[in-house]
Amino acid sequence: MTEERSFEELERELEEVVAKLERGEVGVDEAIALFERGEALYRACVERLHAAELRIEELTPSEPP
Amino acid sequence: MGRVVEPIVYGDRKVYTVAAFNRGVAWFLRKLPSVWVEGELTELRRHEAWATVFLTLKDRETGATLGVTMARRLYDRLEDALAVGELVHVHGRAELYEAKGELGLRADAIERVGIGDHLVALERLKRKLAAEGLFALERKRPLPRLPRAIGLLTGVEAAARSDLVRTIADRFPAAKLVVCETRVQGARAPERIVSALAALASHPEVDVVVLARGGGSTEDLLPFSDERVVRAVAACRVPVVSAVGHEQDTPLCDLAADVRAATPTAAGMLVVPSADDLHAALAVRRERAAAALRKIADRDRERVERAHERLARGVRALLERRRAALDRAGARLQTLSPLATLERGYAIVRAEGIALRDAADASIGARLDVQLARGALTATVEEVRT
Repeated sequence: MTEERSFEELERELEEVVAKLERGEVGVDEAIALFERGEALYRACVERLHAAELRIEELTPSEPP
Repeated sequence: MGRVVEPIVYGDRKVYTVAAFNRGVAWFLRKLPSVWVEGELTELRRHEAWATVFLTLKDRETGATLGVTMARRLYDRLEDALAVGELVHVHGRAELYEAKGELGLRADAIERVGIGDHLVALERLKRKLAAEGLFALERKRPLPRLPRAIGLLTGVEAAARSDLVRTIADRFPAAKLVVCETRVQGARAPERIVSALAALASHPEVDVVVLARGGGSTEDLLPFSDERVVRAVAACRVPVVSAVGHEQDTPLCDLAADVRAATPTAAGMLVVPSADDLHAALAVRRERAAAALRKIADRDRERVERAHERLARGVRALLERRRAALDRAGARLQTLSPLATLERGYAIVRAEGIALRDAADASIGARLDVQLARGALTATVEEVRT
């Protein structure tokens, strides 16, 4: 659900989930489902932060004429 | 100082050590008179921690250069506030820096003569581009909070590169850097910088470009004030952070960039958020979610408890209503009961267990059972009247 999405998208959805929970306009079943979704998003975000080391790509510009 | 230079004698050869040679030349130079020297100030390094101010003079005709030193206490008392690019007259005498054997001019006075040509040209270009609105604040774009990739344009030697890489690796290890190294000095530097900037900006993942160049003389930094470079920075597809030169240098690309960073390290801090801060912010959200869930669960539990209470109250009320009805029924029953009638003085007369309603049903001598409100009698029939 999260692989192809950017950290910012995941983070934004997490914020939406939290805000929806905080509005409290949902029943407890939906609240639990939202909470689980939030946890999954949280873990996905943290995973992104822990991702491998700094990647460096070298670029060679075309020599100007 | 007298004669302090003694050679070492190898047979018929006199040999001087380097230090002795330098000391000897320095001693000789001190005999030269003080003179005035005219040149363009191309470098000016003054630091609070240093007792000496270092300057470089350039000959406008030939480009020959001369290092000048001046005691900071003298420099700070100069009438003219000096800036790089200005034509100056320096009064002083030749001096050898013995540790390096470098010839310089030890100054005791400096006077400004005029503004240097390239500085005038730079000022003119700056005014022109400013008038076009190239440096306007409205043009500045915000930096992406989390760029997919950071483009880095830097010189080939580039301590700037390692500073930036270290900062980003410390701060946000999951980042991606796209590095384009190019020569940032020399006549063709502007074209090279423009072409490198274009290469970085056309990379599909690059969301921000850092232009990094360590300190150098004002002349070294001139390519970063070149009109082509300044325009390319302003027109770049993605925001540009300029980290060129030191604090006191302001090449024009700094003015055209979206954000100016004092050093490559500062640029690194600007282009990626701190992973620690992000962690903390995520943890806060998680805590908020848990608290909100607890609140919803508490709220629902309260609602269930209230419902349960209402149910219990309802049942109690129902039972009470029923009991009252039962009581009323009991009372009515009471009024209908023959026992109540007996209480008023009536009696039930039974013959062989059957209540008598007709005197004819009894015969003389029969035994009758008479039930009163309290107790019973056994009687014998003496007469029957019908």
